[in-house]
Amino acid sequence: MKGNHKRSRLLGIWKRFSRSKTAMLGLAVLCIFILLAVFAPLIAPYGYDEQNLREAYQGISMRHLLGTDNLGRDTLSRLIWGSRISLVVGLLAVAIGAAVGGLIGSFAAFYGGRIDSVLMRVVDIMMAIPSMVLAIAICAALGPGLVNTMIAVGFSSVPTYARVVRSAVLTIRQQEYIEAAGAIGSGNWRTIAKHIIPNSLAPIIVQASLGVGNAIQSAASMSFLGLGIQPPTPEWGAMLSTGRQFIRDYPMMVVAPGICIMLVISSLNLLGDGLRDALDPRMKR
Amino acid sequence: MSDFLQVKHLKKYFKTPHGMLHAVDDVNFTLERGKTLGVVGESGCGKSTLGRVILNLLEATEGEVLFDGENIVGAKGARQKELRKKMQIIFQDPFSSIDPRMCVSEIIEEPLQLFKMCSNSADREKRVAELMDTVGLAKRLAYSYPHELDGGRRQRIGIARALALEPSFIVCDEPVSALDVSIQAQVLNLLQDLQEEKKLTYLFITHDLSVVKHISDEIMVMYLGQVVEKAPAKELFRDQRHPYTKALLSAIPSAKVGGKKERILLRGEISSPVDPKPGCRFAARCLYATEECRKKPYELFEASPGHFVACPRYKEWTEKKGE
Amino acid sequence: MEKILEIKDLGIRFKTDDGIVNAVNGVTLELKKGEVLGLVGETGAGKTTTALAIMRLIQIPPGEIYQGSILFEGREILDMSDKEMQQIRGDKISMIFQDPMTSLNPVRTVGEQIAEVIRLHQKVSAAEAMRKACEMLEMVGIPAERSGEYPHQFSGGMKQRVIIAIALACRPDLLIADEPTTALDVTIQAQVMDLMENLKKEFGTSMILITHDLGVVAEICDKVAIIYAGEILEYGTLEEIYNHTAHPYTQGLFDSVPDLDEDVRRLKPIDGLMPDPTDLPSGCKFAPRCARCTEQCRTMHPDMTVLNGNHGVRCFAALNREG
Repeated sequence: MKGNHKRSRLLGIWKRFSRSKTAMLGLAVLCIFILLAVFAPLIAPYGYDEQNLREAYQGISMRHLLGTDNLGRDTLSRLIWGSRISLVVGLLAVAIGAAVGGLIGSFAAFYGGRIDSVLMRVVDIMMAIPSMVLAIAICAALGPGLVNTMIAVGFSSVPTYARVVRSAVLTIRQQEYIEAAGAIGSGNWRTIAKHIIPNSLAPIIVQASLGVGNAIQSAASMSFLGLGIQPPTPEWGAMLSTGRQFIRDYPMMVVAPGICIMLVISSLNLLGDGLRDALDPRMKR
Repeated sequence: MSDFLQVKHLKKYFKTPHGMLHAVDDVNFTLERGKTLGVVGESGCGKSTLGRVILNLLEATEGEVLFDGENIVGAKGARQKELRKKMQIIFQDPFSSIDPRMCVSEIIEEPLQLFKMCSNSADREKRVAELMDTVGLAKRLAYSYPHELDGGRRQRIGIARALALEPSFIVCDEPVSALDVSIQAQVLNLLQDLQEEKKLTYLFITHDLSVVKHISDEIMVMYLGQVVEKAPAKELFRDQRHPYTKALLSAIPSAKVGGKKERILLRGEISSPVDPKPGCRFAARCLYATEECRKKPYELFEASPGHFVACPRYKEWTEKKGE
Repeated sequence: MEKILEIKDLGIRFKTDDGIVNAVNGVTLELKKGEVLGLVGETGAGKTTTALAIMRLIQIPPGEIYQGSILFEGREILDMSDKEMQQIRGDKISMIFQDPMTSLNPVRTVGEQIAEVIRLHQKVSAAEAMRKACEMLEMVGIPAERSGEYPHQFSGGMKQRVIIAIALACRPDLLIADEPTTALDVTIQAQVMDLMENLKKEFGTSMILITHDLGVVAEICDKVAIIYAGEILEYGTLEEIYNHTAHPYTQGLFDSVPDLDEDVRRLKPIDGLMPDPTDLPSGCKFAPRCARCTEQCRTMHPDMTVLNGNHGVRCFAALNREG
């Protein structure tokens, strides 16, 4: 009976989620990208670092469906391989940012007073530094590489999440059911985890789904500066910035990764909206 | 026999940018097991704060709360958790006092889980079903969400949650004021039945005087953090010895034609208890106040057996009124 | 006496995701000049919807006024152009809303807010409007010096007076007050009710008082209409409704409120809940909760029948008893 209920609850969330056509579309697009990333070695027609200078700067053709780049590498293959890096960087960086920022924000709001002031001033200081500069500084300190890029990009978004979560939690904390949780003997940690976080998810989800796009772009800028993922590892953002030099003559080098980034971001936004509604039992149909 | 609940010189002050707010200022009373003490007063009189300080949801600034002879002010950790089991609260707003993301059974089950009251989930489920039955919630609602239910049923969830730990003392903080009249009566009856069945002791906080008269054995009237009068319910409605109580009772509109009483219109409005001046806090609005009233320190004394009043001049003005 | 307002067979429904909400189902009411009508019902009974329809403030869509007419001083409100309606609103018909905390603009002084209404409807200079605004404040018992203060500097009761002052600024012929005292404390409620009584006496303002509180109705109303599930179940003079209650629902409302003068151990609540407005019973709307319900009540919809004089009731059982 109990297990049944747990399952029926998930089913309920899925039911609400699947009612939204746009959310389902977002999910479908994202799934395609994830499949591409997982099965990249099987799908990609060429290796990501297979150079063929004789075939450089090609347009769309049967041999190279999306053309080739300045070093004659197949753009389609690089995009497929690149989805591995970009998706991982985007999602993990956001996860880091949301988790750390969320924790800081909810503690600050829940405890209030001095803890709030101290935490928020720290966040303000972080906010005062442009996030790009912050990311560069972190990356420069840790050294280039995939993991360090994610950490750098993730941390640079911490202040935003901390602010968003703090304001959400401040409203929730006023609600009587938080006091009610205390009255039945629930400790602070438990109250935050069981009552406050689930009820302040909505703005976090929205912020996070927007954040993935930013993270991919920040990662790209880092690679551009030589601090992020190192060539020849394909990464959408990096492909975009390389292609920028050739945009007048060979627009495909920019358009193809651009469209990929756009598709992932919009699918995540649609997914995020759908998820936010589906997680809230108050939303009917 | 020692009294079940004894409150001695209880004070709760809050620091505000304008000064010290005396939300509860020197409150004393005793309450016997199985009885109901009604606390009435207008918004801002400190009645809700009083309930929360007694439960240790807010820490008292000064004073003692003796529960079964043991002072519980400042209880922390395991001792505090143990107290939660014995003392519970029912909240005013059935809409904001339950987590909108949990279904009915999860809400009622939460305290059971927290205190490991049941050995396994089957047991727990049985207990939740029992509790739902006790408060009159249909079984089929177990997996409904609060937003699907009306105020009366939500309030029943709140009552079931409070009963889950089998407390002996419950603070009812305006439990029916957000409900429609017909539903209000259902919930009041439920609270009375539960009291008889489980020998519960209630501290019943409300601003609704007809409700408080109906449910209480004794009534305590509060004004700006202080108790101005305390008497058995019937006696208070028959004989008011504090001008504020008198005005308060006269202001209740009666649902009868021609039964219009003469209302005592109070001047001004309840002020805020921030850094109050010594002397009677009601003096500024009182029809009978003298210079002396503004100086004399506050004291609640027993005017006749069981009838406490904070107005030392009660004889003077009640007689004047009679002339 | 001349009729100021006549509502005939008004029907309003809302299209929502859950289906069609039948908020008002054939409400017929009339109000003579200088009369005060109490419209009594519980949450969701359709009282506020009816009031908003008189002000033509129903959002269309999702709302739809699918039948009936509202005649104000003999003119059809539902056929008026938006411009005509704007001129009437605030000038001839005014409305007071329940929550004094949110009905005022926090960044403008109360004087300005009153003057604004005056200037909207009368061709007067700014200075003249301000002078009138101060007069209005004095009338509701607020010193004119306070006209330059902002809403947050006033207490709840004062804000409600300011709202009354705004509503009365243009000396409307009809005042609709939607739960004007529900958010206020009893002593403040007494002050506001006193003010409203004076208005009635001095200016002969016709009023519709929407409330769930039978005590408030008894104090100031001449006529009473009991509304349930979007239908008037009983109407009549105060005396007829209170002393010769005919409808079981009205009786239930009286029984649900604890009586101050009598002691009852248990209240007699009305069983069950308000019917779902998307799925109303086909017979009498109250049948599922009624103790005197018969087969006839479940299948047939009772018509409004006049017992004697003004007293009308929509109930088979009441008619049989009379007959």
